Amino acid sequence: MGFSVRELFKKYGDKVVVDHLSFEMNEPGVYALLGTNGAGKTTSIRMILNMLAKDGGTVEWNGAPLSLKTCNVGYLAEERGLYPKNTLMDQLMYFASLRGLSRSEAKERIRYWAERLEATEYLYPPQTGAKAPKPKKADELSKGNQQKIQFMLALLSDPELLILDEPLSGLDPVNTDVFKSIIHEEIGKGKYLIMSSHQMATIEEFCTDLTILSRSKTVLQGNLAEIKKSYGRINLFVKAEQELRPMIERAGITVLSSVGFSYQCRVTGEEQANALLRSLVSQGVTLIAFELREPSLHEIFVEKVGEVHEES
Amino acid sequence: MKSLDLRGTGTVFRYTVQQHYKNRSVLIFLLLLFLGALAVFPIRALIGGQSVTETKIKQVYFRNETGFVIEAEDIKKDAVFAGVEIIDTKDDDAELAKTIASEENAAASVMTIDREKMCFDIRTNYSAASEIGNAEAEALNQVLRQALHQALLRAQSVTAEQETLLHSAVYSQVAKVSDYLRDAEETGTDTHVFANLVYCYLIILLNTLAMSYVFQQCMEEKVSKLVESLLVSVSPTALILGKLLAVTLFIFFGLGLVVLGLFISFQIGSQMTDPQILTDMIKGVIQVDFSALHISGGTIALFLLCILLAYAIAASFSAIVGSCCSRTEDTQHASLAVVLFIMIGYLVGTIVPMFENDAAYNIVSLFPLTSIFSAFPNYVCGKITVGVFTVGLLIQAATAYFLIKTAGRVYRMMIFYRSAFPKPKQVIRMLREERAAAKYAAAGKEDPHGK
Repeated sequence: MGFSVRELFKKYGDKVVVDHLSFEMNEPGVYALLGTNGAGKTTSIRMILNMLAKDGGTVEWNGAPLSLKTCNVGYLAEERGLYPKNTLMDQLMYFASLRGLSRSEAKERIRYWAERLEATEYLYPPQTGAKAPKPKKADELSKGNQQKIQFMLALLSDPELLILDEPLSGLDPVNTDVFKSIIHEEIGKGKYLIMSSHQMATIEEFCTDLTILSRSKTVLQGNLAEIKKSYGRINLFVKAEQELRPMIERAGITVLSSVGFSYQCRVTGEEQANALLRSLVSQGVTLIAFELREPSLHEIFVEKVGEVHEES
Repeated sequence: MKSLDLRGTGTVFRYTVQQHYKNRSVLIFLLLLFLGALAVFPIRALIGGQSVTETKIKQVYFRNETGFVIEAEDIKKDAVFAGVEIIDTKDDDAELAKTIASEENAAASVMTIDREKMCFDIRTNYSAASEIGNAEAEALNQVLRQALHQALLRAQSVTAEQETLLHSAVYSQVAKVSDYLRDAEETGTDTHVFANLVYCYLIILLNTLAMSYVFQQCMEEKVSKLVESLLVSVSPTALILGKLLAVTLFIFFGLGLVVLGLFISFQIGSQMTDPQILTDMIKGVIQVDFSALHISGGTIALFLLCILLAYAIAASFSAIVGSCCSRTEDTQHASLAVVLFIMIGYLVGTIVPMFENDAAYNIVSLFPLTSIFSAFPNYVCGKITVGVFTVGLLIQAATAYFLIKTAGRVYRMMIFYRSAFPKPKQVIRMLREERAAAKYAAAGKEDPHGK
């Protein structure tokens, strides 16, 4: 059961753009597909959705090849748009009809998502004066508000599998929170989500498992928590009211960066950090913060992608 | 999402049609098209096609200085002037002017010979104060002219049949006896050439009109960046098919509107003038003697079928080319390719009838690019057999099917293509690669070229 991608492969001429990508989701959750620009994320998603012909590999949903017939997919593409001169309501009804929704069902869902995404004023413009309100067209909306409509298009069919490519890019903080809350809701409903983003903090907030792609190849894959655990707690943040750099360096610890009396350090493990803590306390240093933590996804990403670039 | 999954075609078709007819500029275009067609015959009637069915002229003072005898009855033979009093006179121009000024609705006609130019001169005058119109005076002159013509023939003792022969052309013909016997069944070359020309005009008009709409439909989702969102709901083949069907409806609706407009226009024009004048006008424009064509009850059905096949071939070719466009600028290259495609068929189709060669008729009626222009006129003019015509249509149908299928494949393949307008060689290579990859993917294998 679930979703699986095996040995997905694509080339253009002699250039391989997706090199045997495999991953699976056996239970609902969020799977992150990360990578640098041109790593093959969008191409992989297009192949997963059968929009692009595969040169190899399989994509399955509940054991059957994924298709329009076997899986109800919602997709928020990175390259997204709307028919500029058509009214928003017409477009939403069109998409709903393509997904097999009845008119009444479609209207109900559009109303729900319009309220949820705070887009009612565009879809149901208030009446001003005696004239009937003029329905809004896509080109009358800001980019952020268009994105709300695009998100609605992806959610209209109540998809089992939701693929979000850079869902939060270009949104203001208020709308970012609205989108995030909806994503959390979809996760709560037991949906399968595949998310691609360059915003590592966003990915960390939602995802359980991930694949990092670099130059068409998979450079890291697995459960995020386990990956982090495998790195160990090697990031140390120390903040005091006095200069600590000589003391930290004497303990054999590398200072990565410092601002005032705050230090980002890299330790070999918990023992080295504990030794530093004991040393600082014994020397009567007043510590404001002493935090030993796992590397962030951002750091892991930069390290892994950096390794590939160095090798090549 | 396989290439032959056509679910959603109807929805795409309905939406495209709906949006098309919501567009104000489209409605204005259709309205202008209809009004233009509606105006054709009434305008023709107004600018000189008006016939005179009755006259206000009561007396005609007629001075004949030609020496050829023209009786009053010769003028009264015309129904319009049957009740008019024809008065022979020897009065000079000044006296005639006085006479018609004093009479109510009287005209004066003078027929003379201009010895310098060696020609006849017929002049009719009427009083400005009378109710006589210029058209009536023109009509009277026309009748006098006919009467003079008859008087001339009478003077030479020429019969009506001799007169017809006197004006007939001389046809010269050299042919094998077998060809001579078959020619009895065929239409003359002139009619064939003009029938071909008229049909070719119709096809070229239909297809050039379709071309820009097809391009627009092929590029719409690319330009609006909606394609990915749509393709999780509908297959590319269903998407392009639905859109092409919508364009087809639009084009044929426009054509139907023109035909309806012309029909109503003819009815209105017939009320304003003699319908024969309008019929002559049509004959003059088309220059086809319809009575010489082999037209039966099924000809109209065949005509529609041929038009539809020609449209399907040209529109699907436009869709293939249009699918390769990523930007609006690319449509220039695309238009050139489609126009070249259509023009080759058009030129061959219009030139071949002039050669009067059976082999050429058969070839152009079978080869799909030319047969969309030539097969139907060749058939109705009896230049090809039913068998050749049927085979030609079957080849056209097969070509249309192949091109529609290829259009679906190219649209699917080029949907994410965002580079310069590709060369045909490049598109063919991509199609081959795609087919090979699809074969391997279907077999659960990997394309070995990728390793």
